[in-house]
Amino acid sequence: MANRLLEVNNLEVAYGDVGALWGVSIHVDPGTIVAIVGANGAGKTTLLKTVSGLLKPKRGEVFLNGVALAGKAPEAIAGMGIAHVPEGRGLFRQMTVLENLELGAFQPKVRKHFKQSLEKAYTLFPRLKERAGQKAGSLSGGEQQMLAIARATMSDPALLILDEPSLGLSPIVVQQMFSLIETLHKQGVTILLVEQNIHQALKVADYAFVLKTGELAMQGTGADLIADPEIQKAYMGVLEVQ
Amino acid sequence: MTLNIPPPDILLQLSLNGALGGAMYGVAAVGLSLVFGTMRLIFLAQGAMIILAAYFVRALFYGLGIDPFLSLLIVVPVGLGVGWLVYQGLFRRAAAEADRNISLLIAVGLMFLIQNLMTVVWGGNTAAVVTSYTASGIEILGVRTSFTRSMGFLIALAGTGLVVLFLRSTLVGKAVRAASEDMEAATLMGISPHRVNAIAFAIGIALAGAAGVAVATTFPFNPFAGFIFSLKALVALALGGIGNVAGALAGGIILGLIEAYVQYFISGGWTNAIAYGVFLAVLMFKPEGLFSRPYKKA
Amino acid sequence: MLKQALPQRAWTAIAIVAVIALALVPLLPGAVDSYAFSFLFFVFLYAIMAQGWNLVAGFGGQISLGNHAFFGLGAYTTAILWTGNYLWGSLYDSHPDIYYFDPVTMTLGGLVAAVAAIIIGLPLLSKLRGDYFALGTLGFGEIVKVMFINGGDFTGGAFGVVAPAGTFDTLLPHYLVGLGLMAGVGVAIRLLMRSRYGLALIAVRDDEMAASANGIDVLKVKVSAFAGSAFIAGVAGSLYTYYIFHVGPDSVFDLDWMLLPLMMTVVGGTGTLLGPILGALVMYAVFDLAKIVVPDYHPVISGLTIILAMLFLPKGLMRSFAGRARAA
Ligand SMILES: Nc1ncnc2c1ncn2[C@@H]1O[C@H](COP(=O)(O)OP(=O)(O)OP(=O)(O)O)[C@@H](O)[C@H]1O
Ligand SMILES: [Mg+2]
Repeated sequence: MANRLLEVNNLEVAYGDVGALWGVSIHVDPGTIVAIVGANGAGKTTLLKTVSGLLKPKRGEVFLNGVALAGKAPEAIAGMGIAHVPEGRGLFRQMTVLENLELGAFQPKVRKHFKQSLEKAYTLFPRLKERAGQKAGSLSGGEQQMLAIARATMSDPALLILDEPSLGLSPIVVQQMFSLIETLHKQGVTILLVEQNIHQALKVADYAFVLKTGELAMQGTGADLIADPEIQKAYMGVLEVQ
Repeated sequence: MTLNIPPPDILLQLSLNGALGGAMYGVAAVGLSLVFGTMRLIFLAQGAMIILAAYFVRALFYGLGIDPFLSLLIVVPVGLGVGWLVYQGLFRRAAAEADRNISLLIAVGLMFLIQNLMTVVWGGNTAAVVTSYTASGIEILGVRTSFTRSMGFLIALAGTGLVVLFLRSTLVGKAVRAASEDMEAATLMGISPHRVNAIAFAIGIALAGAAGVAVATTFPFNPFAGFIFSLKALVALALGGIGNVAGALAGGIILGLIEAYVQYFISGGWTNAIAYGVFLAVLMFKPEGLFSRPYKKA
Repeated sequence: MLKQALPQRAWTAIAIVAVIALALVPLLPGAVDSYAFSFLFFVFLYAIMAQGWNLVAGFGGQISLGNHAFFGLGAYTTAILWTGNYLWGSLYDSHPDIYYFDPVTMTLGGLVAAVAAIIIGLPLLSKLRGDYFALGTLGFGEIVKVMFINGGDFTGGAFGVVAPAGTFDTLLPHYLVGLGLMAGVGVAIRLLMRSRYGLALIAVRDDEMAASANGIDVLKVKVSAFAGSAFIAGVAGSLYTYYIFHVGPDSVFDLDWMLLPLMMTVVGGTGTLLGPILGALVMYAVFDLAKIVVPDYHPVISGLTIILAMLFLPKGLMRSFAGRARAA
C-alpha cells in the first residue's frame, strides 16, 4: 500500500452547484496501466482533471507518491511528474511539431535532457520527425494524437494520463494507438487511461475502475472485468452483436 | 463626382506619411495583442501608458537634458518593470476570475487614474518635445519626410522585431505563444499562467514606452490623447488578426495608410468613422484578420 | 432555489418603500433647491443607464461597449424633434411647453436608439461573440459620433443642437420623471426576467449551445436584449436633454456615458436587479464627494475607486453583502 503511485480518496467534485463526482476512490500502482471506463458523462474527464489540478475538489484527497496535491496549481502538479493528455489533445495548433515537443519539456527539471527525450520520442514516433517543422494543426487526426502523447512523454512523467486517446480515430489507427500504449508500458511508463473503447481498454489494463454517473460502480483486473457478464451486458453489448 | 488622381509624388508622399504614422498604432497594437493573447483582456489603458511614457520622455529631456531617442534605454527597461508590477499588483487576482469584466474594468480604472494623474502633475494643456532636429527632414524614396517620424517607424519596426524574435526563438517566448493559444493545455506543460501573463504585461508596457518616445518626438500630446490611441491600436489589432503580433504592426501601417488617404481624398472629419467602419467590416467578415491563411489539411 | 441573506420579498419591500420615500422628498421644505436634489437626479439618470447596460451584459452576457452611442442618439433625437418641431405642428405655438418631458418625444428617443441597435446588432451578434462583439460596439459608438459631427445643419455639426427652452426654474420635473423612469425600468426588467423571455435570456447567457438545442432562437434573444438596452439608454439620453439643453457630440457621445454605468453595474452586482441602482448611488456618491473634498484630484479618485472596487469586491455589492441575490 505504501508504494501506491497515485491514490485518490473519496473525491467529490461539482461544477457550480451541480455535482459530477460523489466519493470516488481509485489508485494506480507504479508500472501498471489502469483504465477508467464508463458511459458518456460518467465523470471520467472530471476525475482526470481533478487529479492534474485543473479542477478543485469539494471534498476528498489526491496523493502522488504519498504527497498530497491539495491546493496545488496544475503547473505545479505537472512539475511533480503528472503528464495529462487532455480530451481533445490540447495541442498548440499554430505551433510546429517541434515547438510542441519543446514545450512538453518546459519544466526546468527536464529541460536539460531535452536532446535525449527528443531522440526517444522520434524513435517511437518516426512520423513526427519527418513533420517536425509543420504546424501541429495541419497534422492528421492520428498524427495529432501521437504528437499529444509524444509531447507528454517529453517530461519523462511518473504518471501519464490519457483521456480518450482513440477518440475520432479510424479503427486501424486505434490499433496503432493501443500497441503504442503497450510499448510505453513495456518501457516502464505508468498510465492512467480513460476510454470509450471499453473492450480494448480492459484488454491492455492491469486494473480498471468503472464509473457510473459520478460514482464508482465496479473495479477489478482488466481480465476479470472483461469476463464480467454485467459489464458485457452494459457496455459491450454492441460488440457481441457484431 | 470625379476623383482627382493626384500626381505620383503626392501619392508616394501620402503613403509614406501614412505608413510612418501608422507604425505607431502598430506598436501599441503589438502590446495589446500580447496581453489579449494570454489574458483575453482588452487593455484599454495602453494608450494612456503611451502618453505617460511621452510625458516621462519629456521630463527626461527638459529636466535632465537626455535626448528623447537616447531615453529609450531608460524608458524600455522601466516599462518592463512597470508592466510586471502592474500585473502583479492589479491584474493577478482578477486574471484568476472567470468574469473577465473585472480585468477590463481595472484597465478602465487604470486609464482614468493615469490620465488624471498626468493632468494633476503636468496640467491639461498640450505638451511637446522640441529638439534641434524636430523640424528637420530626410529624403526617403525621393520624398522628403520628417526625421522624427522616420525614427518612430524604425523604433516600431525594431520593437516588433525583437518581440517576434523573443516569441519565436526562446522557450519562454514559445510558452507565451502556447498560453495564448490554449492556457489550460499550457498549464499542463508546467507553464505558470501568472508568469506568462506578467511577461506579456511587461513587454506590452515596454512597447508602450517605446511608442511613447515615438509619440513625444512626433506629435504634441495631452493627458487625454491616450484613449483614442487605444482605440486605433484596437483597429490595428483587428486588421492584423487578434493574436498575430507581426500582423498587428502591419495592421497599424494599413490603418495609417487608410487615414492618410481618407484625409486627402475625402476629408479629415471622416477619418475616424472610416477607420472604425473598416474595423467593423474586418471583425464581421474576416475576424481572424487580414493576414491569416486557413489550414490546408495534410 | 437561491440562498439569500434576505428573502426576495424583503428586497421588494425595501425598494417600494425607498421609491415612495424618494417621491416624498420634494415635499420637504427647501429640498427642491438643495444640492442633494440634483445629486439624486443624476443618481436616477445613471441608475437607468446602468439598468440598460445590465440587461444586455448582466442578464444577456453580451458585453456592449456602445451604450453611450444610444444615450447620444436619444438625446439628439429629442433635441432635433424639439428644435425642428417635427411632432406637434401648430400645437407647439399654443403650448410652448409641449416638448418638455413629452412622452412621445422621449419614447421616440428610445426607439431611434433601439432601431440603431437592431441594425447594428443583427450583423454583429450573428457573426461575433464575446470580445469581438464588445469591440464591434465600441467601434460603432465612434462611428455614430463622427456621423453626428459631420451631419451638417441637421445635427449642428461639432457644436450640436440647442433645444429652444434654454432654462428651467426648478429640477422638480426632472427629479420626478427620473425617479419614475428608474422605478419603471426596474419593474419592467423584473417582470421581463420572470417571463419566458427572461428565462431564455439567462439560458443563452449560461450556455448558448444548450439554449439553441432547446429551441431558443439565440440571435433573436440577444438582439432584442441589445435593443432593449439601447431603448433604455435612449430614453435616458432624452431625459438628459431636458437637463442640459445643449446637445453636442462631445457631451452626449462621451465615453463616460458607457463607462460609468458599466462600472456602477459591476460594483453593484452584474446580473442582479438592484445592483445597478445600488452601484449608481454608491459610485456617484463617491465621485461627487471626491469632487467636493479634493476638487483637484477627483478624477484620480474615480480611477482609484474602480480599481479598488474590482480588487476587493469583484462580485459586486449585492452579491457580497446581500447573499446571492440574483434577480428573478
Ligand atoms: N464545464 C462543465 N460545466 C458543467 N458541467 C460539466 C462540465 N464539464 C462536465 N460537466 C458535467 O459533468 C458530468 C461529467 O462529465 P465528464 O466530462 O467528466 O464526463 P466523461 O465521463 O468524461 O464523459 P465523456 O465520455 O463524454 O467524455 C456530466 O454530467 C457533464 O455534463
Ligand atoms: Mg470525457
